[in-house]
Amino acid sequence: MSAAEDQADVEKVVAGDTSAFENIVRRWQGPLVNLAYRFCRDRGRAEEMAQEAFLRAFRSLAQWRREAAFSTWLFALATNLCCSELRRIPVRTVGLDDIVEPRDHRAIDGGLEHEDRDQVVRRAVFALPPKYREALILFYFHDMDIATTARSLTLPEGTVKARLSRGREMLRNKLSKQLGEPLVRKEA
Amino acid sequence: MKREDFDRILSKEQEIAPSSGFVVSVMDAVQREAEAPPPIPFPWKRALPGLTAAGLALVWVFVTGISLFIRETVTQPLPPELLSRFALIIEAWKTVGASWITLALVLSLASVKFSARFVFGKP
Repeated sequence: MSAAEDQADVEKVVAGDTSAFENIVRRWQGPLVNLAYRFCRDRGRAEEMAQEAFLRAFRSLAQWRREAAFSTWLFALATNLCCSELRRIPVRTVGLDDIVEPRDHRAIDGGLEHEDRDQVVRRAVFALPPKYREALILFYFHDMDIATTARSLTLPEGTVKARLSRGREMLRNKLSKQLGEPLVRKEA
Repeated sequence: MKREDFDRILSKEQEIAPSSGFVVSVMDAVQREAEAPPPIPFPWKRALPGLTAAGLALVWVFVTGISLFIRETVTQPLPPELLSRFALIIEAWKTVGASWITLALVLSLASVKFSARFVFGKP
């Protein structure tokens, strides 16, 4: 995905060529739908949120200052939309304390099967308070890049690091029982 | 669980592909947006003289009222009937603890506003 292509298309759209926006949609539809999907785990809703993000981007395209990459601006806009949408109409989640241990204990070591364990962890992320959940979702969406995550959340990197650390700590505390593992405290 | 476990589990997320009609649907919405007439701007030029006149009239009424009140109270003291009504109002204010109620209301409003900033995002 080329930044130059984005810039050229944006300039065309700002100059009045609306059809050039289709190139932007085609280039960024995958990442934006997937970003929204990670926030809501519902394909239909993810597409609705991604569409709304594109529409907002179209409306405010002239406000994009060229200091940051177009993708950074687009992700920040989409993240803001996803966060506010989910605060308005939350995804149905269970509290961290109410996550039920899966019934199937097939693993010999007393822990859960890997797939079960992964699902428990993902559900636990959804049960976190929004600010920790958002930081974790974006951090892993952006391939564990703190700087990009911070830009998407329009927060300082230090704040993002603190939220990630606190979020993992909360997950670890709550999951230690379900996963049948000793509590490993504090990360470096 | 170690940090590496979280990294491993949360990194390998299922990727979804947008549905085939997604681009068309977005572009339809964009076209509708582009074709919609721009919002009618507030007619500041026309409204400005009227707003200025209204503002000046309000200031004039306020200043005249204050000056009349001061002139009246300086030349002749307030009638005892009015004074006793004032005293009654002040007494009732003290009895119900209206100052505290007002303070509590203001603090509640401030705390609601303050917490709303955290709940609904940045101001």
